[in-house]
Amino acid sequence: MTEYRLLAETLEAVAQSRGKLAKIARLAQTLRLLEGEELVLAARLLSGSPFAEWEETVTSAGWATVARAAAAVTGWDLDTLGACAVAIGDLGEAVSLLLPEAPALAEMTIGETDLLFRRLATLRKAIEKQALLDEVLRRSTPVEAKYFLKTLSGGLRIGADVTTVEEGVAQAFGADREAVARAHRDSGDIGQTARAAREGTLSQIGFRLFHPIGFMLASPIEDAEEVAQELPFFAVEDKFDGIRAHAHKEGGRVELFSRTLDSVTEQFPEIAASLALLPGSFLVDGEIVAWRAKPSEAETGKEGPDSFFKLQRRLGRKAPEPALLAEIPSAFIGYDCLYRNGEALFEMPWEDRRRSLEELGRVGLRVSEVFSVATSEQLEERFAAARERGNEGLVLKQRDSLYQAGKRGRAWRKWKKATATLDVVVTAVQQGNGKRAGMLSDYTFAVRSGDEFVNIGKAYSGLTDEEIRTMGAHFRKITTARYGPVRAVAPEVVLEVAFDTIQKSSRHKSGFALRFPRIARLRPDKGPADANTLDDVRALYARLTGSAAPSE
Amino acid sequence: MTDWLRPFLELRPEGLYSPAFDAYLDPAVPTRRAILSHAHSDHAVAGHEEIWATPETIRLYRRRNPEWSGAAEEIALGDHRERLGVLLGAFSSGHILGSAQWRFSNSDSSLLYTGDFKRRVGRTALPAQTPQARVLLTESTFGLPVFHFPAREVLEARIVEVCREAIAQGETPVLLAYALGKAQEVAAILSNARIPTVLHGAAWKLLAEYEAAGYSFPLSRAYESGPPRPGEALIAPPRCARTPMVQKLKKRRIVYLSGWAVRAASRADFDADVLVPFSDHADFPELLSHSAEVRPDRVLTHHGYARDFARILQGRGVDAQALAEVSERSAEDLD
Repeated sequence: MTEYRLLAETLEAVAQSRGKLAKIARLAQTLRLLEGEELVLAARLLSGSPFAEWEETVTSAGWATVARAAAAVTGWDLDTLGACAVAIGDLGEAVSLLLPEAPALAEMTIGETDLLFRRLATLRKAIEKQALLDEVLRRSTPVEAKYFLKTLSGGLRIGADVTTVEEGVAQAFGADREAVARAHRDSGDIGQTARAAREGTLSQIGFRLFHPIGFMLASPIEDAEEVAQELPFFAVEDKFDGIRAHAHKEGGRVELFSRTLDSVTEQFPEIAASLALLPGSFLVDGEIVAWRAKPSEAETGKEGPDSFFKLQRRLGRKAPEPALLAEIPSAFIGYDCLYRNGEALFEMPWEDRRRSLEELGRVGLRVSEVFSVATSEQLEERFAAARERGNEGLVLKQRDSLYQAGKRGRAWRKWKKATATLDVVVTAVQQGNGKRAGMLSDYTFAVRSGDEFVNIGKAYSGLTDEEIRTMGAHFRKITTARYGPVRAVAPEVVLEVAFDTIQKSSRHKSGFALRFPRIARLRPDKGPADANTLDDVRALYARLTGSAAPSE
Repeated sequence: MTDWLRPFLELRPEGLYSPAFDAYLDPAVPTRRAILSHAHSDHAVAGHEEIWATPETIRLYRRRNPEWSGAAEEIALGDHRERLGVLLGAFSSGHILGSAQWRFSNSDSSLLYTGDFKRRVGRTALPAQTPQARVLLTESTFGLPVFHFPAREVLEARIVEVCREAIAQGETPVLLAYALGKAQEVAAILSNARIPTVLHGAAWKLLAEYEAAGYSFPLSRAYESGPPRPGEALIAPPRCARTPMVQKLKKRRIVYLSGWAVRAASRADFDADVLVPFSDHADFPELLSHSAEVRPDRVLTHHGYARDFARILQGRGVDAQALAEVSERSAEDLD
């Protein structure tokens, strides 16, 4: 029976290790010490989640619940605790700094820690969760408290992610990295993957549906010339302006997972209902779009995807009311098939996957249209036509490419109209003035820099009053501290901001400021990990100002 | 709460003002006469017509503002001046070379302005004194309980160990320490451990004043005379972390030395490999012990977590208030 402290201390050592290789080696060192069920649990905990992905279990304990338990255990009042969390930038870290170094009396084993997380997930009442957290903190040394709470909040921020753990598993047990990655993808569980790697049974892990899987991502191109020489190797399709989703289907069950790996099934009941009618089982990669129905004879226009602005009104609603369903119907357009009737297709070339997709197309799935182009002129025509149809641009897919889940490679390319926008994360909100007095309408936002978020600007409008009110309620829930009219919020909400240009500035921590920023739209389909990085900003700055591109 | 300042000080737009001495205390703008606690630029802005400070602070002020031609009144630590029945006494604050706490007193009352201080004893500053006062106006930069730093010997040993380890692995230790006070303190620590140091120009320029005060740095040289060679450690201000001076060192180990280093996030902020909470400010326990040992009736807090620290003191039965009603922090500081 191994203690949780081993894992907490490993995570701390990983946080302090320099470079990916050192982090992988440190993870491997600890994984090697473990076996059986303990290894399963440890690999999950080291990757930052107490559960397998397929479990779809979450330990929801609100900030206030954790803070109250921490207040009781450390003896500090809630105000001080909140101020400490803001000063340190992380509640778990702050709590660890407030706990005495003295060794805990009854240390938690890895197995107990797993049970505690599971118990937290099943408890419904905040007061019960608080009591349980109280017990956990009393039994924890500072480093254990830190990583228990970080795990609970869903972000370890140690410069290592689940792929680092995959590599750690491979190194620990001398397994092939690709085989580990495949087993993890197919099982939806880094824990069972680690155990199989140790026991030499990776190849026995089969694919299971209904757990979120990483999306294959496309690298951007600026113009047609960039790919002119390679055009014969690519299939071309429109880039839809919707929400990327994976649709899982077996029997009567359907699940839709978004890019943030969250289930969005309940938000799109009409899509789930229509996919459920299709024969067999499948996993299809595609896009959820607002759907413009065929107008009456008298009107002009065609049936097809509608703007993202329309779809936006469907987002964030657990169960949309019938009136909204009627006003803004949604549809799913499939463009890749990753699993069909018991067979995983990830390692098949795109062309073969496309054949499976088209079979589904023949029995009623709406699928994308694919073009072949020979010259950059033809590609430009296709691009103009896609824009004409209201789509974002084009996606090019190499015909012989395999599906690389969770990776951005050059096998897929995307060509969008160049606009100056950034995906940013809101870090603080403030009440507006005048018409919007009393509403949380002013947002301070940040881009990613390593594990951190660095502020880059502040914007005042761009959303409707209704959106501001809805977001305001959410921001009140995720507030981490208050300073007069300003609320610091957990970095969770992603916005797309448009702006005129970027300037260097000492006003913001990023060293840059956006000129005339405005909120283009909410991006509930994206998580903080999808936000643009400081390197993106540097590159954009170089491009917009014509100065030499900085080295990356 | 500003009436607690009376009769010694008033809060004016320019800052704290002493009617008896017709002078401002560490004002943020140039004034006709300023009483300075120490030479850091956030306390000692350029352009005062006249300054009152310790001889060391005045020398550092001149060195940092070579164009300056105002008048200077030297008040050595332990010395005092009197005007209109008010006594102004200079006491060591332990922050950096020449740093002072100022006590105003008359027959009825007394007020101690700490400026920046630390109670742990450094190598390049006199130990802080604990004068008694009825009202304590204390800094509160690290006025939250998360800011507790290890003992000075532990920190010194850690700094030396990190440098030796880096050098043994063929790396240049890069110590991020601001130019006035911490850079010289670190140079003294490493000198004692026989590790030669290369100082950024801003820190090197001030080293002469430390030497004039009797400290010596036999193993230090200026960066101007060439980048660090194998076996040497570089001492540079934190803002240099991402400049070529540091980044062009292929094999380097960046050590961030600051009270803010208790935040794991500062690793990313400064591209740091090692975080050492080494500060010239009092940590939270030191703030508490100072405010107890000065034996004040009332405590005013300012700088940093002033409101939080005042609230914490209130919770311990101390009559405490933050000097400013409004938090000094804006959304930008939430980083």
